[in-house]
Amino acid sequence: MKDKVGILTSNFYDPSGERLIYGGAERYGYQLTKLLLDLDYEVEWWQVGSGWEQELMDGVMVKSIPVTKSPYETMPDLNYAFLERAADIDYAIYFITFLAYPQVKEKSISLSHGIYWDYPTFDNLINGQQGREEWLRRLKIALTGPEKIVSVDTAFIQWVKATWTGLDHKFNYIPNFVDLEKFNPQNRREVLKEKPIRIIYPRRLTTVRGINETIRVAEVMTSENKDLEFHIVGRGHKDGTEKELMKWASKHERIYYYWQSPERMAQLYKQMDIALIPTKAAEGTSLSCLEAMASGCVVISSHVGGLSDLIFNEYNGLLVKPTAKNLIEAISSLLADPKQARLLSQRGIEVAKTFSMKQWRKNWEAILKEVFN
Amino acid sequence: MKKNKLVAMMPVYNEADRYLEQTLEQLTRWVDEIVILDDASTDETANICQQYPKVHLFKNETRLFNQDETIVRSKLWELAVQRNPDWLLAIDADEIFSDRIIDEVGYYINQETYQAISFRLFDFWKSEEFYRVDGAWNPWHRPGSVFLARYHPEWDASWPDNVIHTGRWPLEYRNLKQIYHSDIRIKHFGWANAEDHHQKFLFYSQKDLEQYGKVQPHTKSVMALPNKVKLEEWFERKRSLKDGELVNER
Repeated sequence: MKDKVGILTSNFYDPSGERLIYGGAERYGYQLTKLLLDLDYEVEWWQVGSGWEQELMDGVMVKSIPVTKSPYETMPDLNYAFLERAADIDYAIYFITFLAYPQVKEKSISLSHGIYWDYPTFDNLINGQQGREEWLRRLKIALTGPEKIVSVDTAFIQWVKATWTGLDHKFNYIPNFVDLEKFNPQNRREVLKEKPIRIIYPRRLTTVRGINETIRVAEVMTSENKDLEFHIVGRGHKDGTEKELMKWASKHERIYYYWQSPERMAQLYKQMDIALIPTKAAEGTSLSCLEAMASGCVVISSHVGGLSDLIFNEYNGLLVKPTAKNLIEAISSLLADPKQARLLSQRGIEVAKTFSMKQWRKNWEAILKEVFN
Repeated sequence: MKKNKLVAMMPVYNEADRYLEQTLEQLTRWVDEIVILDDASTDETANICQQYPKVHLFKNETRLFNQDETIVRSKLWELAVQRNPDWLLAIDADEIFSDRIIDEVGYYINQETYQAISFRLFDFWKSEEFYRVDGAWNPWHRPGSVFLARYHPEWDASWPDNVIHTGRWPLEYRNLKQIYHSDIRIKHFGWANAEDHHQKFLFYSQKDLEQYGKVQPHTKSVMALPNKVKLEEWFERKRSLKDGELVNER
């Protein structure tokens, strides 16, 4: 009989169970499931929902638990129900760090997708300063339980190490992956050679991803430079945001807003010159950043979360504090020196190779062997 | 690479003075075949359909939709799947996709990841410029509707036991797991003519009574007072992709 791995997450599907969410974390979940199946494990997902069950892929079920509360940014009811109800699993993976609070299966690994509390309104979620102590207590318990914690970036590891030094040994750094078979520079346009010059923002429309700064940059730069085209490509968390962006883009001749499936993004990047990843908070090692880089776009990013694990300023891209002014300056510096831009693009392609899916699978395989044996 | 076949299925009834020509004109540019079931029209509908070479026209001798929508939908389905489609498009004669579909449909029907594609439908209200956005009419807040789905010959094609609002897809197609929500918009002109409203309201009220025992809130909202109806003006968007390549058509 195969060993069974249970993976606990909050939302793989939306809580109604009707729609599959298809963001970066879910793409990670898919790849992790595929790897576990290849290693001959049986896999089962658990998440929030009314009790429905869905088949994610052949033989892989997603089961749901009716839970609504998330006090102090944890989900103890979900954690407890998983512990009790997924009784037949041999091993557990806690797909989000805080889901490992308060108790874990004996053989378990948890996953950190990066620091997620580095924005001003996070305090509101944990009842302000007075709730911070309780939130920290719970976070520490969540980190203490699992045998190992896989972190997608070094920023999270450094923060924990500086806060609770004794937890350092728990961590394995496995940065995110890029599928080089799909995302590569083959048949791409030469950077900054053809007009219009195309700049892409391949992210969700959220404040922490820097959408507001990008809007400002797009307006200013397209009005000053007739050769520039901006492509904002990604969905909003709210339908109303998508409407506003569509309306806004329709009023600007050289600004586009749309979204494409992850499969289609590879082809799109080949037709772009510069990629903006102006994250302000809550970032790990962004899949979009890796994919844009692997495809040969010159990446302009920020030093937030795990992005500085991917980009070395003026070596394989530019790292700036993500204000509209800084982003405009960074784009202008690339436009003024296409030769340097091409060098950054070339090095980006090289650096991206170290984040290959192959390497990511190898890293995960090693830790699974260590903990699940 | 194999190119999948897309067959559109469309029920029609007395569409000659409405949007049929516009719909067929555009559909012809992006689907392989159009299977039409004419529900005993008494106007020029059939003649218009026959002007389009991609159309396969079938006709009911007597009108069935006003008795039992499921009979019409299931018959249309049977006729459409006889054309050996890989993908099916379920569309009405007063629904028109934005032209971006012409650029992007090739990707949708030849990809392997998703079983169906959903879209936002905009209900034009008493005009062809303004769509309705109050309550359940709001296209931005309601989930997208599946218009395109991969055909599975091995699936059971049974239908719900409804006389109205039966849906466009057999039951098996209503719980698909991998649906891609497209940002391409669809204009629906079924409510664009104010003169139709009262008659439509009476028809749907009667059907609601037969099926649910009372008139549904959405049906009631057809006759909502003008101050309760919120409208938004349609805005055009640019086309940027053609077969995955960016184009600069403005």
